[in-house]
Amino acid sequence: MAEKPSDIVQGTLDMLILKTLALEPMHGYGITVRLEQMSKGTFRVNAGSLFVALQRLQRAGLIRSEWKATENSRRAKYYILTQQGRKRLDSETREWGRQVAAIARILEAS
Amino acid sequence: MGRELDEEMGGFLEMAAQEKMSQGMSRKAALREVRLERGSLEIAKEVVSAATWESVLETCWQDLRIGCRTLCKSPSFTVVVVLTLALGIGATTAIFTLIDAVMLKSLPVANPRQLYRLGDNNNCCVMVGTQNGGSFVLYSYPLYEHLRDHTPEFTELVAFGSHLSDLSVRRHGDSAAVEPYKGEFVSGNYFDMFGIGAFAGRTLTEKDDRSGALPVAVMSYHTWQTRFGGDPSVIGAAFTINTVAYTAVGVAPPRFYGDTLRSDPPDFWLPLATNPDRWLFSPEPEWLYLMGRLRPDAASEQVQARLTVELQDWLGSHREVIPERDWKDIARQHIRLTPGGRGVEQMQTNYAIGLHLLVTLSALLLLIACANIANLLLARGSANRSQTAVRLALGASRSRLVRQMLTESVLLALVGGAAGLYVAYVGTHAILLLAFRGAHHIPIEARPSVAVLGFALLLSLATGIVFGIARAWMSSQSYPADALRGAGRSTGDRSSVAQKSLVIVQVAFSIVLLIGAGLVTQSLRNLERQNFGFVTEGRLIVNIAPSLAGYTPDKLDGLYQRLEDTLPQIPSVLNASLSWYSPLGGNNANERVYIQGKPPDYGWTAPSWDRVGPHYFETIGTRLLRGRVIDEHDTPAARHVAVINKTFAHRLFPNHDDPIGQHFGMGDASHSGDYEIVGIVEDAKYQDTRGPAYATFFLPLLQAPPGEPVRGWVGAIELHVAGKPENIESAVRKTLADVDPNLSVLDMVSFGEQVARNFNQERLIARLAELFGVLALVLACVGLYGVTAYAVARRTNEIGIRMALGADRRNILGLVLRSALVQLGAGLAIGIPIALAGGRLLASQLYSVKSYDPLILGLAAVILAACALSAASVPAQHATKVDPLIALRYE
Repeated sequence: MAEKPSDIVQGTLDMLILKTLALEPMHGYGITVRLEQMSKGTFRVNAGSLFVALQRLQRAGLIRSEWKATENSRRAKYYILTQQGRKRLDSETREWGRQVAAIARILEAS
Repeated sequence: MGRELDEEMGGFLEMAAQEKMSQGMSRKAALREVRLERGSLEIAKEVVSAATWESVLETCWQDLRIGCRTLCKSPSFTVVVVLTLALGIGATTAIFTLIDAVMLKSLPVANPRQLYRLGDNNNCCVMVGTQNGGSFVLYSYPLYEHLRDHTPEFTELVAFGSHLSDLSVRRHGDSAAVEPYKGEFVSGNYFDMFGIGAFAGRTLTEKDDRSGALPVAVMSYHTWQTRFGGDPSVIGAAFTINTVAYTAVGVAPPRFYGDTLRSDPPDFWLPLATNPDRWLFSPEPEWLYLMGRLRPDAASEQVQARLTVELQDWLGSHREVIPERDWKDIARQHIRLTPGGRGVEQMQTNYAIGLHLLVTLSALLLLIACANIANLLLARGSANRSQTAVRLALGASRSRLVRQMLTESVLLALVGGAAGLYVAYVGTHAILLLAFRGAHHIPIEARPSVAVLGFALLLSLATGIVFGIARAWMSSQSYPADALRGAGRSTGDRSSVAQKSLVIVQVAFSIVLLIGAGLVTQSLRNLERQNFGFVTEGRLIVNIAPSLAGYTPDKLDGLYQRLEDTLPQIPSVLNASLSWYSPLGGNNANERVYIQGKPPDYGWTAPSWDRVGPHYFETIGTRLLRGRVIDEHDTPAARHVAVINKTFAHRLFPNHDDPIGQHFGMGDASHSGDYEIVGIVEDAKYQDTRGPAYATFFLPLLQAPPGEPVRGWVGAIELHVAGKPENIESAVRKTLADVDPNLSVLDMVSFGEQVARNFNQERLIARLAELFGVLALVLACVGLYGVTAYAVARRTNEIGIRMALGADRRNILGLVLRSALVQLGAGLAIGIPIALAGGRLLASQLYSVKSYDPLILGLAAVILAACALSAASVPAQHATKVDPLIALRYE
């Protein structure tokens, strides 16, 4: 039996959202589905956390939003990565890489 | 913002559900599944909106709406709390408004801080020689000129009469009878010193205050509005004031009431030089108050020292105007410079004790009100415990719950505060009417000032926050699981201890207030019902001023004759008489006497004296003890006689020598043969209502020593009437107009009312203390009722068990009332000693009541106990009607 999906690692949701949006503008549910697909069902996104994160990113100017029609022709709010957000995604990705490598070294040491 | 979020989330939910449904789920199942996977969208919405700053306002608005809703759902609770707060805050604010207006406000003039008064007391009205205690306060006109011209530290130094003058005024071309007004004689620089310009026309100038200048007058704004309808043609119009032609040159600014805060301030300001009494400008009579504006760079201590030197110089060079017996005191005479920003602090001095007493009383009432509200909120908090627990269990955050409770409390407090302001506004009006009974115009604004409004707002906010926090603290103690299990059913807990203590505090403060109210009420009753030495029932007093109608001493005889002939003709008048002044009308004269054959005695206060016509003593109901009274035969040509009162007889003839037949006189020893004593009357109080009657002698209206004019003209008419004295007022006015249309009636009141006006302050304090006492009583009863009712509700279960086990009604009644009795007893035990201690501070204000009067103490305790127990017995009766079967199922 597959493992139960867990919540996303603390503090990484913002980065993951930025990564998702780096491919194309997306609405909230789209982001959820994409994150779950990309993590192959490891992560499950809580709606409350998602919307709080979206508010936060928007306020920081890393993303912006606009209302557009979806493929099923319903109205939805699409989030778009800004120039500033793209820069932040690069720096966070690098930082994350450094940290993961460091943690891996510590764990492999003994 | 909220709607957008709603739509976005709705879309989210919809899309997620659609996907599930496309896998073959029913819509209902799909929605349920999404909720399970993604968490409740409602909570998500809450979380998101809580993260934004707009949400703070929004949740406040929400809290406010919830608060309003819950308050509306329990109207009786809301009404009781708001009323309690309104009374507590209203009473305190009303008293504070008065304190602010009477004690703290400066004169409405430019830079009141620069004003200084020369003198530190309010002695009135005309003096000769050195002054009491050496501190100068009344000045003669030449002394004023001397100080004005030799003290450059004052930019202006002004003089004004120490008392207002009665004016009889008629506008030129008016055919109506003259009307009485109040006037003040002031130096020409009076308005300049205050920095006051005219509202219309001009103010007085130095040029107006020179002898020979055209007489001019400035009218007060209030008089201009109320008596002349704001008619602009008044400015520049000619008036006859006390038979002299004046021109009204201007109107003073609306808020200006002169140099002294008092009821019925001057209607006219007139230049000193226009005062027709030329004697007042000689060096002997000291009758002026002085006030000056100090230069900004002058130090008041140095100016004070300099003024004293100037005073000494002047007195030293004017020994001839000082009676020889006062010479030894000249070296002690000095001038104290006192801040004059509030003017002559007459009202401030008179009302200081009364207002402070009222502040104490209203603060007590506020405390009781607060205790009551605390109690109600505590009871409500406990009652809502299970509701709070349910909310917590459903996931409400504690901080949100606390905030909501705070909002509710503050809302309550603010509504209470607003209602309190209304109470304060109405209350201040009522207090002013009580305090200045008989006044036509009181220059005090009843409107709470900004400071007072702030005070009330702060008070209500503080109340709301304190009680809100207390409630929140209590509810944060509640653990949902316990509360829901019903742990709150136990017989005792912390909140009920707090409640009981609050009731004890309430009872204690209430008994203090009740005893205080009892003491001041009894004191007032004793004052009003004392034996004054005259009878007030069926008597009317009419105050007139023949001098204002142009009467000179030689014409008085005819006037008196006509009055004595016509007044008894008025239907239902039993007796009529004339006198210089009437008892307790506010006037009093005293003069040293010299008894024939005895050395002069300066040892005690000079006796009072009055001039009275025939039938005077019968008319006012003063009994003759020996000899005869003054009658129609005591004309100027007849033997000069005097009637004395009992105290005069005891004081001046202590050795049992018979006063009747003895002679005395005024002025100096050469006059000691002027008057022969022919009668002794009982003591009557003419001036001081609390102390013993003054030694007094009475002279016939027109008997003056040979070659001297008559001093002391008729100022009062006394009428003894069958029926209500007010009924004949118009007949009296008509009769007087027939005698002389120029004779203006200054005032006409029943004798009872004239006496009653002496007790305005005592009455104000007594009525307010009674009101506060009753309110305190009601609040204490509400408190005890609330706590008992709450206890019964909580113990319904227990009571049911007891009854099931065989307890009867009496047992249950006892069970419930025992606790109420304990609280009552504890409250009394704490309160009565406080009342006794407070009573000692009050003792100086009481008239023939001991501050520990056992009857009043006992009565207050019995009333409080009876009311409190009957309040507690209502829920106790309910307890006995509990049906055990229902009670056991009760939750």
